Amino acid sequence: MLTDLLSRMRSLLWRKVVEDELETELRFHRERQLQKYQASGLTEAEALHRLGLEFGGLDQVKEECRDARGVRIMETLVQDLRYGLRTLRNSPGFTAVAVLTLALGIGANTAIFSLVYGVLLRPLPYKDASRLIMLNETTPRVGLVSVSYPNFVDWRSQCRAFADMAAVVGVGLNLSGVTQPEHVSGQAVSPNFLTLLGLHPLLGRDFDLSEEKLGAAPVVLLSYPLWQSHFGGDPNAVGRTLTLDGRSCTIIGVLPPEFRWMEKADLLEPFGVFATNNQDYLERSERGDTAVVGRLAPGSSFTQARAEMEAIAARLAKDWPGSNDQFGVALRPIRDVFVSEIRPAIMLLFAAVIFVLLIACANVTNLFLMRGAGRTREMALRIAIGATRGRVIAQLLAESLILTSLGGVAGVGLAVAAIRGIGSLLPADRLAGAGIDLNGPALLFTAVLVVLAAFVFGLAPALQATKADVQSELKEGGRSTSEGTGQGRWRGILAIAEVALSLILLVGAGLMMKSLYRLLSEDAGIRTERVLTMAMSLRTAQYNKDPMILNFWDRVLHGVRELPGIEAAALGTAIPLTDGHDRTDITIEGMALPKPGSFPHPDLHIVSPAYVEALGIRLLRGRTFMDMDNESAPHVAMINARLARQYFASADPVGKRFMFGHPSPKRQPEWITITGVVGDTKLYGLANPARMEVYLPFRQSVSGSMTLILRSAIDPAALTSESRGVIASIDKDQPVFGIATMQELVRNSVSTRRISFIVMGAFSGLALVLAAIGIYGVISYSVAQRAHEIGIRVALGARPGDVLRMVLGQGAKIAAAGVVIGIVASFVLTRLMTNLLYNVSPADPVTFAVVTVLLALIALIASWIPARRTLRVDPIAALRRE
Amino acid sequence: MPDQRLDLPQGTLDLLILRTLALGPQHGWGISERVQQTSSDLLHIQQGSLYPALHRLERRGWIKARWGTSDNNRRAKYYELTKAGTRRLQLETETWKKLTAAVALVLGPC
Repeated sequence: MLTDLLSRMRSLLWRKVVEDELETELRFHRERQLQKYQASGLTEAEALHRLGLEFGGLDQVKEECRDARGVRIMETLVQDLRYGLRTLRNSPGFTAVAVLTLALGIGANTAIFSLVYGVLLRPLPYKDASRLIMLNETTPRVGLVSVSYPNFVDWRSQCRAFADMAAVVGVGLNLSGVTQPEHVSGQAVSPNFLTLLGLHPLLGRDFDLSEEKLGAAPVVLLSYPLWQSHFGGDPNAVGRTLTLDGRSCTIIGVLPPEFRWMEKADLLEPFGVFATNNQDYLERSERGDTAVVGRLAPGSSFTQARAEMEAIAARLAKDWPGSNDQFGVALRPIRDVFVSEIRPAIMLLFAAVIFVLLIACANVTNLFLMRGAGRTREMALRIAIGATRGRVIAQLLAESLILTSLGGVAGVGLAVAAIRGIGSLLPADRLAGAGIDLNGPALLFTAVLVVLAAFVFGLAPALQATKADVQSELKEGGRSTSEGTGQGRWRGILAIAEVALSLILLVGAGLMMKSLYRLLSEDAGIRTERVLTMAMSLRTAQYNKDPMILNFWDRVLHGVRELPGIEAAALGTAIPLTDGHDRTDITIEGMALPKPGSFPHPDLHIVSPAYVEALGIRLLRGRTFMDMDNESAPHVAMINARLARQYFASADPVGKRFMFGHPSPKRQPEWITITGVVGDTKLYGLANPARMEVYLPFRQSVSGSMTLILRSAIDPAALTSESRGVIASIDKDQPVFGIATMQELVRNSVSTRRISFIVMGAFSGLALVLAAIGIYGVISYSVAQRAHEIGIRVALGARPGDVLRMVLGQGAKIAAAGVVIGIVASFVLTRLMTNLLYNVSPADPVTFAVVTVLLALIALIASWIPARRTLRVDPIAALRRE
Repeated sequence: MPDQRLDLPQGTLDLLILRTLALGPQHGWGISERVQQTSSDLLHIQQGSLYPALHRLERRGWIKARWGTSDNNRRAKYYELTKAGTRRLQLETETWKKLTAAVALVLGPC
């Protein structure tokens, strides 16, 4: 085996040397033979003559020696590749389309599968992640809500189905003392959090269980990225301090690089440190921003855990009706929480890309069949003049090899570009730190599939030519036999399939587009043009008294109002179309008292006077806030239309009063008078119905975390640096974050749908092009094959129009069959994407109609272009050619 | 004379070459001469089949080639048997003997 290989290699690599040796060897033989003949008495001429007779041609011997050395296989491969390149260069159209189809099929699939893998399938970086469960509380008024910390403590101590539980609270912190002051997102966690996940700090120590208690010394664990960006990965960072919200905190360690959480986590702090500054979290009625993660105990199942937790929640609801009435518990596997938002969109794209792959395969098959059919005569000819079957097959394989390699390389390039593109379209916060990179297995799988199609169908002509009787293939040009056989039917079926698949994709894209349009035309209750928003969260250590906070906000408002182009400037705590707003129970004066879990539970806004003007919210009744609504004035509020409708029916709410919380004999009610009613705003995204809202003046309910809203006469983005300047001039250590125009917030709120639509649109456009190529190929091939028949028809008196109609009819049949199949399949399949649609029926007749017409039109054009060629058929030439 | 020459049955050429080389290294021409002599001029190996056979045997590793100087002082390519070639020769010889004996049995005494 080895000698065999070495010998072949030598022959190939040192071809010149080997050839020379062969020459010398053979010459030596002839000379000796010549000498022998001459020695036996022949003249030189006679000897040469005899030599020639006996030994035949020198070149033939050499050729046979080369064969014997096994050089041939390698040499022919190179030869075949060269020939293949030449052939492909001679048909650039076919080559370009084939390479493009291969590239698109391979590229699109690899990109989407990489996305699916990165977001949905890649294992979470926790030990036994399938045993990790996220727990939330539920209330019928809202749905899923955060967990009250005392409830969590009871869950943890009572539930046997969980081996352990940890609370996780999202916190925003002002980081200073390292670089520029900036806002970072952290998570305050129970000290057992990392152990529960099965992780250990990369450097330093984990939290100590004692750090769950109030009064714990301030310590933090840095995320790996923050450690890299702020400390350059310096191991000595452990033990140093940084300033969070004006307090000095010791860095006790660094999280491993693979750590990620469903929310941004630049750093972790122990719950005890967080609670020391946020003692309201220790009240049972407080459900701030706490999530709970639990690990199932060995041997207990999800169902058991849920049953036990529901029993515990029911018990707590009975024991603590004031805070827990009608509150239940919801359990979700941690994987679902990570991907809940984006999963349907990704699954849709995944389905779509499988269709694209099918279309690409069909198209490649079609292309190769078509090309092959046109070459059966060439193949038959080659075989007739002595090529072996293997030789012809090898040559076709070489051609396929070139095409698929080119397509593959282009496909990988496309995949890399597409992954980057999709990555930039997807909002980072939706991905929860999921990395998307080129997925090797996916690339291999798609490539193998598409390449297989190319090879198998590239071989078809050779198989057909060698199977068929060479003579009949060559006789009469072999034309009449090719069309109307199995191959022609196959091509028709493939084209029909392509049309059907494209129709499904187009319908999907059409429905997505209509949903997006409907969604964006939804009234958010605000005017979004020329509005800039930026958030600030004051450092609690520096701004620890209400007058200080108010003073800061006042100075900010005064400062920005001086900027050119400002029409209105205001502050608010709950910006529409974002998430995570505060809600609270209220009691309306005179209302029949419901059960504790059924009190009105509106969203809470704390706003400055010009808020309604700045966001363009409609004032329906009464008045908005004014500067006079201050600390010493009677407490006032505005409510939104939804609340007014639900609790005041036909009566005018202005002048009516309500209070926060539930009435209690222990305390005097603090009544708040309603001064105005404003229009509803979409606080939780355009697709979600408006909820009840209550607005409070910022001087009467002070908040240290607010968003500045600037309505301007000019491009709002231009105000960014000037506004930052104003804030820095008041407090140079105050970070500003979440800078976005209102229109950007609108776009972000629909980002998942938007990217689904963009990618679906791209896919269906692609599918349309491929289907058009498919139809074009079938018709154009058929026209070429039927030139003879057409010639006869024309000779017998058929008018050009008749012939054109006949050929177009063939295209129309394909299109009609494809459209019918596609419509039926779409009816079934679009139902699966109902939850991605908004206000559009999955069987939307307009979308179906438009798509059908579009596809029919494209099919017509794709068949008309080649059909036109029949007009130019010269009957004499067509007949004579045979 | 030409009438007396025998055509080689398929596969016997390899055997003849290997057997000839078992006597010692030899170049192509030498092999053909030797076969002719030892077969009493009944077997003639054509150049057109000899050299492809030699190259094939070399590729299979049964013989190896090196360049040497011939008795008339010319550069010539000498072939010699490898170990694998020796084993092959044994095998082929046995097979050949069995075959001819079997054929002889079938043909019977003349």
